[in-house]
This record gives sequence, C-alpha cells and structure tokens, in this order.
Amino acid sequence: MGRFRQTWIGLVSEVSWRLPGWPVKLLTAFGQAERGSFYDMLAAAEATDRPDLRRKYFEHALDESQHAIYFRDRVMALGGIDRARAAMEEAGALTSRGIVGGESLYERLGEIDFLAFVHVAEAEAIEQFSVYCDRELPDPETIAMLQKIMPDEKFHTAYPLHELEQRRKQGKGKQVDTALRRVKWNRLKEGWLRFSRDVGHVMSSVWLFLLYAILIPPFSLLGKVERGGWQAPRRDRRPLAVAARSQG
Amino acid sequence: MSTWILGISALYHDAAAVLLRDGVIVAAAQEERFSRVKHDASLPVRATKWCLEQGGISIGDLDHLVFYEKPLRKFERILANSVATFPRSWRAFPRQMVTWLGSKLWVRNQLVATFGIQPHKLLFSEHHLSHAASAFLCSPYDEATILTVDGVGEEATTGLWRGTAEAPFIEPLAEVRFPHSLGMFYSTITALLGFAVNSGEYKVMGMAAYGEPRFRAEMDKLLRLEDGGAFSLDLDYFSFHYHPTQSYRPRLVDLLGEPRMPGEPFRPTAIAGDASAEAVARNQRFADIAASAQSAIEDALLHVVRAAHAEHGGDTLCMAGGVALNSVANHRLAKDGPYDKLWIQPAAGDAGGALGAALWAWHCVLGKPRAATLDRIDLGRSWARDQTRQILDDLGTTYEDLGDTSTSTTRAAEDLARGDIIGWFDGRFEWGPRALGHRSILADPRGADTKDKVNARIKFRESFRPFAPAITEEAADDWYDIAPAARVPLRFMLATPTLKPEREGSLPATTHLDGTSRVQIVRRSDHPHFHELITAFSGHSDTPVLLNTSFNLKGDPIVASPIDALATLRRSELDTLYLDGFRVPSPD
Ligand SMILES: [Fe+2]
Ligand SMILES: [Fe+2]
Ligand SMILES: [Fe+2]
Repeated sequence: MGRFRQTWIGLVSEVSWRLPGWPVKLLTAFGQAERGSFYDMLAAAEATDRPDLRRKYFEHALDESQHAIYFRDRVMALGGIDRARAAMEEAGALTSRGIVGGESLYERLGEIDFLAFVHVAEAEAIEQFSVYCDRELPDPETIAMLQKIMPDEKFHTAYPLHELEQRRKQGKGKQVDTALRRVKWNRLKEGWLRFSRDVGHVMSSVWLFLLYAILIPPFSLLGKVERGGWQAPRRDRRPLAVAARSQG
Repeated sequence: MSTWILGISALYHDAAAVLLRDGVIVAAAQEERFSRVKHDASLPVRATKWCLEQGGISIGDLDHLVFYEKPLRKFERILANSVATFPRSWRAFPRQMVTWLGSKLWVRNQLVATFGIQPHKLLFSEHHLSHAASAFLCSPYDEATILTVDGVGEEATTGLWRGTAEAPFIEPLAEVRFPHSLGMFYSTITALLGFAVNSGEYKVMGMAAYGEPRFRAEMDKLLRLEDGGAFSLDLDYFSFHYHPTQSYRPRLVDLLGEPRMPGEPFRPTAIAGDASAEAVARNQRFADIAASAQSAIEDALLHVVRAAHAEHGGDTLCMAGGVALNSVANHRLAKDGPYDKLWIQPAAGDAGGALGAALWAWHCVLGKPRAATLDRIDLGRSWARDQTRQILDDLGTTYEDLGDTSTSTTRAAEDLARGDIIGWFDGRFEWGPRALGHRSILADPRGADTKDKVNARIKFRESFRPFAPAITEEAADDWYDIAPAARVPLRFMLATPTLKPEREGSLPATTHLDGTSRVQIVRRSDHPHFHELITAFSGHSDTPVLLNTSFNLKGDPIVASPIDALATLRRSELDTLYLDGFRVPSPD
C-alpha cells in the first residue's frame, strides 16, 4: 500500500468513525456493498463457462452473503435497526450497485476485466479494514468481526490475482496490465462522477427550492387539493389513435 | 403474420415486461427476478430481453411497445399537488423535481434509447386503465364491473369501470383522486406500525389477526365513508401528499399512540413469551391498530362494491391494483359482497400494469376480440436440464438425477412426510408476487413446530406471520369453508377461507390464529407436477395439503435460476432441493 494512500485512508477514517451516527452509516454501507457483491458474484458464476472459476465465484458469492449478515448484525447491535432493515430489505437501495443497460457487472466487463475488478476492489477493502483495525476505530466487536472476515477477503483478492498471473504466463501480460489499469482508472472516474453527481444534486435542489419559494406562492392561492368522493372520469377528447400515442 | 405487443411497467415500483402474440401471453416476468434487486423499478431491460428471446423475435419485430401509464399526467398531478400544499411541500418539491426533471419525465426518450424501439410504435396507456385491463381482459368473463384500487396512478386512486364483451371493452364510470386513497391509508398505518411502505403491507394484514378492532372509531375518523359508495380521507392526519418520507402528522400519533419501532419484536398477548407486561400491552395496541385498519379497509371496499352493484348491477367483479392483494379483504368481498363471481389478476400490483397495458393495446386500441384467459401462471423463464446439470457438475454438487417428474414427486413426497423442508423448483417461474408451486419452499403442515422451524432456519422472518397451505382442487371443500366467489381467486392464493371445524388443530403450521388460511387451490391443469406432488404426499399422510412459501430468503426476490436456488440451499437450512428433476441434498 502506498504511504500517501495509507495516510489518506487513515485521516478520512479517523474523522468518519468519530462523527456521531457515522459508524452505523458506514457499517450499513459496507453491508450493502457486501450484498451487492453477492449478487454480482452469483451472476458471474451463472455466466462464466469456466467450471473452475464458476465454483470460485459461487463460493465467493456465499462469503459475501455471510458478510452482509455480519455487518447487519453489527448495525443492529449498535442500535441502528432502522438502517439495517433498509439495507437488507429495501434492496431497491442496491440499484446504485451498477446495473447499466441491464447487464451484470460480469457481462459488462468480460472475464479479464472482471477478474481485475474483483482483485482491485477486494484489495481496497482489505486496505480499509486493516486501517480500521490497526487504528482501533470501530468498537471491539466490530473489529473482531472485521478480523473474522479478513481471511475470506484475502481469498477474494488472491484467486483473481492468481488467475491473472496465469494469463500473464500464457503471454497475455499486456491484456492483463491494460485491464488492471482500466479498472483502477474507472474506479477513480466513477468515484469522481458520483461525487459530482451528488454536488449537482445538491445544487439543483437549492435552485429548485428557490424556484419553489419564489414562483409557487402566487399560484398556491389557485391550487386546491382534490376533494374526496367519486368524480367523473376525465374525458379525453382526442381520437384514441392520437391519445394512445401521447405521454400526457 | 403475428402481431407482437410488449407491455412494460417501470419507474415507480415492481417493473415488469409482458409479451403478447396475437393477444396471447407468451412471456411475463418481473425485472427483480433477473436483476435480483427486490421490487426493482428500473426499466425492465433483462425481463424484456428474455421475453423477446422466448418469443423468438427481436425488438424490431414488435408492433407496439406499451408503457403502462402517462408520465406527463403524473407529473402534472405532482406539480399541482405541490402548489396546492404550499408551503408544506417544500421538502418534497425539490426532491420530486430532481427525479422527474432528471429522468422520469423523459420516458419516451428512455424507451427509445434503451430498447431501440421506433418511436411511432410506442403507446402509453393510463395507470388505472392498465390495472382495469389486466383485471378484465384476461378474465374468463364477457362482462363485468371492474374495480381498481391502489395508492395512486396519475390522479386516480380508485377506478370503477364497466367491462364489455365488444368494443370499447372497458368504459370508465367514476374515479376517486389523490390524496384520497385506500392504498395510502393502509400504507400510512403500515408506516406507523414500523414496516416499509410498499412492501410491508401484508405484515400488517398478518398482525391484524392478533388484535381486536378497538380503534375502529378512530379509523372512521381517518377514512370516512360517504353516500353512494364514496369515501374520503381526513387529510389533517396525513402528510404523504406533501412530505417526501413521513406519511402521517403528529395528530395521528395523538389519536393512535406512539408508532412501533422498526424491527421491534412483536409480542402481543397471544404470543407474549417472556416479554414484560408493559411490552405486551404496547404490542397488543399495535395488533389492535392493525386489526382496526384491516377492518376499516374491508368495510370501505364492501361499501364501494355494494354501491357499484346497486347502481350498475351484474354478477361479476374483476379487480386489480395493489389493494387487491389484501387477501383477507378479498375474502370478505367474496363472502359478504354482492357479486357471485370474483376475479382478481394475480399480479394485482404495479407489475401487473405491464400485462394490462399490452392487453389494452391489443383489444382497445387495435380492436381485436376477446380471446385468452389467464389460467396458468408459470409464464416466467425456465432453464434447460442440460444447463442445470452443467452448473451442478461445475459446482461439484452432490445430486441424483431422477429424470422424470413422477420419480421426483414420489421422492419429494417421501422427504416431506419424513419432516424435511424442501426447495421445489419446477419449470418456468410464476407471474405475480406469489410462489404457487414452481419456486416454492414446501413442508408438512401438520407439525406443531414446522412454522417456527421454517421461520428460524430458512426464511429468517418474523414468526407471527402465517404460512400458506396449498391443497388439491379435489380436496379443497373437505378441508375449508370456501365462499363460492372465492374459489377462483384461491387459485392465486388471493383469499383466506376458514379451516372446517372438524379439521381444527390438524394444520397448525398453516392456520392463522383466527382459523383462516391463505389457501392456494391447486388444479391439475394449472400445475400438473405440483398437483402430483401434493397427491403423493397425501398418500403418506392422508393430508392433501402442503405448507407452501416462496423460495427465497428474507430480503431476496424469489429465486429465478438454478444457481439462485443452489445459493439459497447453501445459505439456509433447507434439507433438500428438487431442481427440475435433480435431487440435491443439503451439503451438511
Ligand atoms: Fe466481503
Ligand atoms: Fe470480499
Ligand atoms: Fe397501481
């Protein structure tokens, strides 16, 4: 791990684990990520045509499912029942895990890039978890939990690396390097995009609020909440062929 | 040349795609089964891809792609409502505008960009019209009164329609508009009782059996029944129409007491265990609130339906919309309502809008005569046995190939009679939210501890909720008191008859506290393998009934593929998995 990177993770973690309410937030987010990768790995196990890799993806998926439960249990123990349920039940929150164009991560990336992705992402998770444990940031039980899952995470980062090394031996070193670079670059890019999307979101919310405060009041006198009871259905005067094509 | 129509519902909850060939359902599936995101609302890209594969066509072969509602009308309603509730809508307004201006408003463009459909082939139905079409146009009836009830569509929350044998097929009669909504009323109580809105409603229904409706007078304040089958909400108690996350105002808490914390163990008097007296009293209040809300919504539906019948006559009622998934209320309608025949579209929630939209296009827009009825519900994807065998081998799974189904049902019946809990995976997965014998977890319903065993070891869910029994059609009347009008809805597990008095105590795992059960009547023609299995089990037990719960763990969508099923086997304490004729014992 690079020195700069380690310091950076350390600094961010020192702050985030100490903010009130944040440990629960962080654990929830990890739980969601674990659950998301359960689905990603299961989809990979389904799609790959390599029997040996199918088995590894499948076992990996089962690990992540178990980890998600460990994280949920910690969230519940820390009194964050609400969030744990949201994480486990409202899997709608997982839509952000990256379904683009209706393809699984595996289908989107292809085998080599997927392996590179898994290796890089899991290595980053180990990095983070180690910093948390070394600096004793979470509560002791959470540290024990993180230490318990560490061997799994090491397996998750090791087998894709081994697989990539095999490809290197087959003379596909260049492809492997490109995949690793691409995956690292994409993770940075996605992080940045997420950040700018969040900022954009806040900005537009502010603008929309101003719009609301300035433009809506004059109309609000005219607006009325619908009354209850039966009302005649709205009649559409347009010919059916026209109305049926219209979004409004 | 065939006419191909694809119906789509999406962007609110439960996205789905349905493919019709000349008006007949070729394929129907919810996106969540493919994406594995429960209640996935994103455009149903994977479900669509599979539907087209199943039909052997490509997107270019479609004659129409039909979206289930009119997005601009919905946007107008949201805008008008924000204006009308100014300044209380200040939190909701920016949020709603960000999502609408950011994506939801551009449905046409999204459909064109995502699916590559030619714009002139796009049609847009209306939300409640789609529900109405899904309820009537694949029912076995030529004429009917149609009732659609949900949270909200564009403006309407309740719709009354006439279904006719010839064009126009569906005529609107009257509607109730947002925010006056039976669905939102029930969802608000769901939120007060600490469950997730839009998915926890059936938990309230389960809780209701533990309570007495002693808050009925309070409920009547919230939900007022008026002349002519009309109703309205007292909006002073609600905030869902202007608040983004909070659905009720403090006044409701003054009226009904403190809300329940999510995840709080449910310990009313009947299942108090070692809970403190204070906790039991508190939980009994929650049960009583649930019972009161349930009783109120049942009375409201009866009130609507009786007035409709008085005014429009007829002997048949077709229903859809999320509220039609309330099986206890449905049973009340079947038993005490004025209609002799009741038909409820099994995917009554918004997923079913995809079916309705497609049927609306075929009949109402293209003017084609009525044809197919919806009997078989296994309309989802299946997997070839060779593919499954490959996966089993690759994963190093120990299994037996039983080959044909009758060997498989015989063996499964033996396992069940021995007390095993099995996963049952048979052919294509089901349309709608219920597992009806194609992706089911099954057990012997006679054991007193079966319910707790399935809850604790497999489903990991709240223990107060009952499991459903599946019974063969031939035996149904020997075991349950079935109102005639409930018979058809029971094929889809949509009503709750009572166990016959002489059978009392014989099916503890599937009988609710009040003696009712969410029964599925299994017809041989609809589910040949499942029927054979129950019959074989009856040979061992003299009980033509199985406990049937959906094949998934808490928080997961129902399993779709063999690998989902195998992962579920590994993540739970299921004893055995029957996977399209392969018998897979649990590894430990
Ligand atoms: Fe993990
Ligand atoms: Fe991992
Ligand atoms: Fe709806």
